[in-house]
Amino acid sequence: MKFKMPSFNNPLNRDKTLGVAKGKRRYDLPLTGSTSNGFLRLLIGLMAVLGMLALCASFALSAMTQRWVDGLENKVTVEIPAADSGGDTIAPGIVRSMTDDAAKVLMGHPDVSEAKIMEDDEIKELLAPWLGHDMVMDSIPIPGLISVTFESGKTPDLEDILIQIRDVAPQARIDTHESWLSDVMRFTGALQFAAILLTLIIGATTLVAVAGGVRSKLSENKEELELLHLMGASDSYIARQLQRHTLILSLQGGAAGVIAGGVLLFIISMVAGKIGVNLVPDFRLDGVQKAMLFLMPIPIALLAMATARFTVLRVLGKMP
Amino acid sequence: MIKYEHVGLRYGIGPEVLSDINFTLEPGSFHFLSGSSGAGKTSLMSLLYLGRMPTRGLIRMFGQNIGEMDRDQLAAMRQRVGVVFQDFRLLNHMSAFDNVALPLRIQGRAEKEIQNNVGELLDWVGLGEHKHVLPNTMSGGQQQRVAIARAVITRPRLLLADEPTGNLDDEIGFRLMALFDQLNRMGTTVVIATHNQAIMDKFSHKRLVLDKGHLRVEEPKASAMRKRLEGVF
Repeated sequence: MKFKMPSFNNPLNRDKTLGVAKGKRRYDLPLTGSTSNGFLRLLIGLMAVLGMLALCASFALSAMTQRWVDGLENKVTVEIPAADSGGDTIAPGIVRSMTDDAAKVLMGHPDVSEAKIMEDDEIKELLAPWLGHDMVMDSIPIPGLISVTFESGKTPDLEDILIQIRDVAPQARIDTHESWLSDVMRFTGALQFAAILLTLIIGATTLVAVAGGVRSKLSENKEELELLHLMGASDSYIARQLQRHTLILSLQGGAAGVIAGGVLLFIISMVAGKIGVNLVPDFRLDGVQKAMLFLMPIPIALLAMATARFTVLRVLGKMP
Repeated sequence: MIKYEHVGLRYGIGPEVLSDINFTLEPGSFHFLSGSSGAGKTSLMSLLYLGRMPTRGLIRMFGQNIGEMDRDQLAAMRQRVGVVFQDFRLLNHMSAFDNVALPLRIQGRAEKEIQNNVGELLDWVGLGEHKHVLPNTMSGGQQQRVAIARAVITRPRLLLADEPTGNLDDEIGFRLMALFDQLNRMGTTVVIATHNQAIMDKFSHKRLVLDKGHLRVEEPKASAMRKRLEGVF
């Protein structure tokens, strides 16, 4: 008895057998198999990659800013200058003595949880970018610095604290870091605005490209489109086919873009880590951020679908 | 049923290609539309299947003024008209079955009904064995039968055919005319655009004759051949 191989009809092989079409019909217009489909997928994929990079940059900037703000929360620096009101240098020993006294005053204040005198090595490290690592501490007047941390939830009266400190160190100043922080905030704010602007430009480019692609597809299938119209297909009926087609292509392109973007971000983080460019060392995406990046193809695809519908309806609107 | 009053059509700012057209198509009537090349047959056909809107005049179809319809109503009106185009206009990316099923799908009919009706009609036009074949691999005659099946699958109230016998020899042309005659007897209003004098002589139907954009209606000539043909088909 001869064994007979069962035959399977793969519906995806439709149109591949010359002259015979079996399987489920998908569109009335010949939308599948067009070379412009690949272009649209690629375009959406690239836009998804760029969108991911912009979004990630925005997340990183946000984390960096938050980190700086958190680091300076409830903190001030008390400076004991190394010169008197006349501009004459005060001996380092006297500066040190005034600094110790000021720290004692601060520790006695009920709102202060910690008053830490910065040691010479720490000050040297802070000044190194300007004065170099080989400076001799004794050759230049170095102020005394006290890093003060207040009890959380307290709002200390800085004016009162300054009056108390000036009893022991008349030239003492309190630096609340406000001016530095506001500069940093302005800078990171500008960067975040640039990231948002970039995302908007990417979105607008996607819309224009999708509209162009749909117009080109309609022009490519002008006769078929006209035929459907003459057979009584409503504008919505025709638009639905283009919408669905664009949605599927965009989701495919977007998914590929997210995978490529993920790989790219991984490579960037590796390279940045290796060359020491890492402003936010322990930056990790949280669950919501990961979800936003992972689900990015969905809003892109929905936007592309809406653009396709709008474009088709405009083109059909010119038909009687 | 279909009434044209002082209808005119021009393309852009050019001269009128149809001027002051007046005629009425009664339900269940059969008309030939004839005229020399450039007389305006194609333009009048495009007005009849609502492919164009008139630049002046009044057109009433099935009791409604088409000038007062919105886009969805016009689409619904087009569904009541079946058209056999001169070049068939079949969709080559889908099978003969899907081509014939297309008007039903546009109307949102149930798939079971589509499977039954389309299969039956394709059998009737002798293409039951070719339902999965793509049109561009069919002969001209087979493509024409698919085009006719597609035009009549929804039992349209108005059937239009543009030069349906143009590329056929007389015998097949007569057979095709007999098919249209049969559909007409089932209640469909039929308009056939043709310049085939032999066909028009053998079938005694009213003629809409276009001459330089103007239309006149001619009564049918008595024909003994029609009775003989009725006996044959």
